[in-house]
Amino acid sequence: MEIFSEIYSCYYQVLHHLLCRKTPLTIEDIRQEICREGFEESLIAIIPKLENGTWNLFEKDGNIYRSKLGSSFSMPLSNLEKSYLKALLSDPRIGLFLDQLQLDSLNEMLDSAIPLWKQEQFYYYDKFTDSDPYTDETYRNNFRTLLSAQKQKRYVDIDYTAPRGNRVHHHYVPARLEYSVKNDKFRLLAWKQTKHGKMKLETLNLSRMQHVNSINKILTSPPDLNAMIKNSYYADPLRLHIINKRNALERAMLHFANYEKNTTKVDENIYECLIYYNKNMETELLIEVMSFGPMLKIMGNDRFLQNFKKRLKQQKDIIYNQQK
Amino acid sequence: MSNFQELVKNFSKTREYVRDFFVYGFKTRNEFKMKSPRTYDNERRRLESWLAPFIRKDYISRGSNISLAIDSSLLDTNPLFQVWKTKSFTDNDIVLHFLILDLLWDGHSLTAEEITDRLLSRREILFDIQTVRRKCNAYAKEGIIDKKKVGKRVIFSLDNRLALWLTSHENALDALAFYQMAGCFGIVGHLLTEQLNYRNQTFRVKHNFFVHTLEEEILLDLLEAMNHKRFVNLTIKSSKRDLTNTITCIPLQIFTSTRSGRRFLCAYTERNSRFTCFRLDTIKSVVSLEISQMYEDLLEKLNRNRKYLWGVSFEGTERHHLDRLTMTLKIDASTEHYILERLKHEGRGGAVTKIAENTYQYEIKVFDCNEMLPWVRTFTGRILSLKCTAKSVERRFYQDLQKMYQIYQIDENSLYDL
Repeated sequence: MEIFSEIYSCYYQVLHHLLCRKTPLTIEDIRQEICREGFEESLIAIIPKLENGTWNLFEKDGNIYRSKLGSSFSMPLSNLEKSYLKALLSDPRIGLFLDQLQLDSLNEMLDSAIPLWKQEQFYYYDKFTDSDPYTDETYRNNFRTLLSAQKQKRYVDIDYTAPRGNRVHHHYVPARLEYSVKNDKFRLLAWKQTKHGKMKLETLNLSRMQHVNSINKILTSPPDLNAMIKNSYYADPLRLHIINKRNALERAMLHFANYEKNTTKVDENIYECLIYYNKNMETELLIEVMSFGPMLKIMGNDRFLQNFKKRLKQQKDIIYNQQK
Repeated sequence: MSNFQELVKNFSKTREYVRDFFVYGFKTRNEFKMKSPRTYDNERRRLESWLAPFIRKDYISRGSNISLAIDSSLLDTNPLFQVWKTKSFTDNDIVLHFLILDLLWDGHSLTAEEITDRLLSRREILFDIQTVRRKCNAYAKEGIIDKKKVGKRVIFSLDNRLALWLTSHENALDALAFYQMAGCFGIVGHLLTEQLNYRNQTFRVKHNFFVHTLEEEILLDLLEAMNHKRFVNLTIKSSKRDLTNTITCIPLQIFTSTRSGRRFLCAYTERNSRFTCFRLDTIKSVVSLEISQMYEDLLEKLNRNRKYLWGVSFEGTERHHLDRLTMTLKIDASTEHYILERLKHEGRGGAVTKIAENTYQYEIKVFDCNEMLPWVRTFTGRILSLKCTAKSVERRFYQDLQKMYQIYQIDENSLYDL
């Protein structure tokens, strides 16, 4: 079983889509498809092969290309893919998507497949222990209602227990379901209409939802989610200096790899790293930076720096007062 | 540059370059000392081609560098999956791929000879039988088509039930859309969703380390060896020094950190009779060897030991068997209950006890308390005391605090100036 195989190549994928088109294609149609699905320089590799007939998969009629294939087939699954599916059947989250009947059907079709991995072969040593209740029926129903509403851009009525224990009730349109690997929890990114009629983005924990009901109302023109998230980032990023001792550079680069960042070398042993973040990420980022101790030095922004210094000051005072 | 090819034969070189550009992103052409400038130029051009929307170029005094600007909170897929789709192939490979699958798709069972004949009669393309047979055998080995012997004839057929079942069940496609982002071997889920013409527009994943995908083929070899309970030879390139060495060990489990972005192989090395963890990104190749007779015993022993592991180290700096760390914290339980929750959910089995009003003690025994320091530091501002039977850990904690007070110029009376 190989992952790095030509059968998964981008060129195969582009050709597959071209060959399965029911209508004849012009060279311009082909070019557009390659630009959409291929790599930046795929055009110069693929077009000559089609034009000179080396990849003899089209009937050429002047400027018109017709697929020689008789069917519009899906690529059959490889052993690698079957083994992958088989492994997923043992994942506790699969029940959020498939019911028992579907799981049984899939299991039967994958009877001879060997799972690509077993759950017990992996050990997540720093994952939090309060995972979401994936087998709970209410949780599963809520998840499925949200999933369906997200795809239809449908409003939902959510009855929610806020962190302080109070119950709140609001209408939202699900934008994305966000899973945290560290917390092993789902959260909902949802749009909510403000009093002024504008849409704002909120984050809700799925495990805190008591009831979720679909409403017969569709959001016709949803806002641009990524633009909203990007606009929420502080204009002034976190500016860190990494002192490359105790392998700190490599550790920090990997640790912060899931943030948008930009790193430059300042000095032989000092690197500057800019990290872009918003208010929701602030506390978590502060804790992450703190975990590095003196290997990271915060240069800005001022807000982050002051929060950090405040924690340090509290720490110094707490020990000082105790010694007194 | 005249012979530049967008696709590549080998993944291992690609893996190193992508990792360097993605994880570091500050190295200039001159800092890639291991390879010739020509190799660097070609690799950089490929990367720019594969990952065009994510490439950022910066011009600095020492030259220009490229990096990958990837913000995982804005993406519905992992852009690094692209690098898996870059394997080169021959003209015959791609043409036969489509022609053979097309012939077999509607349920025909055919021999290699019959396939060759039909390619000529129906598609007017001439191939020699050996080439067709070789391709059919390769696809049968990959599981894409079935191979059966009926009498003296070897026939090939295609079972499309599974692909059709998946295409007709949207919730199964949703599951794939989720797992391509959130599970191991996400690349396989991604390839499946592409094959089935489905695209994730529903799920985002937080705390996801996209760079892990580069290790998936190494992981595949390790799991294969683990499934067969085999010894392996690992070729390891040190991340700190540029040294390569070979280690023989018994692979037992994959240890993953959801915080630091590191993944490890936990293995048993017979030479020093110890469990050891090797970072997956440092493993360059895996060669399976003979079956280990003590595999089950070792797994059981590892399971027994795991409760004393904080991270991946089985021995502390002071070489005690176990060390005890005790942290006393100031927590106002009425307003800071989330701190107690953190101790419970993140404390890996450590005992939390209320010892006075607003004062809690966390205590744990582990092999290597040094590994705990990054987590301990996250409670800065609340730590009344830290005690550890490994005195070097205690010293490092307080020394690091002093250093930070100096760096940020913190003195006792300045709180209200902040």
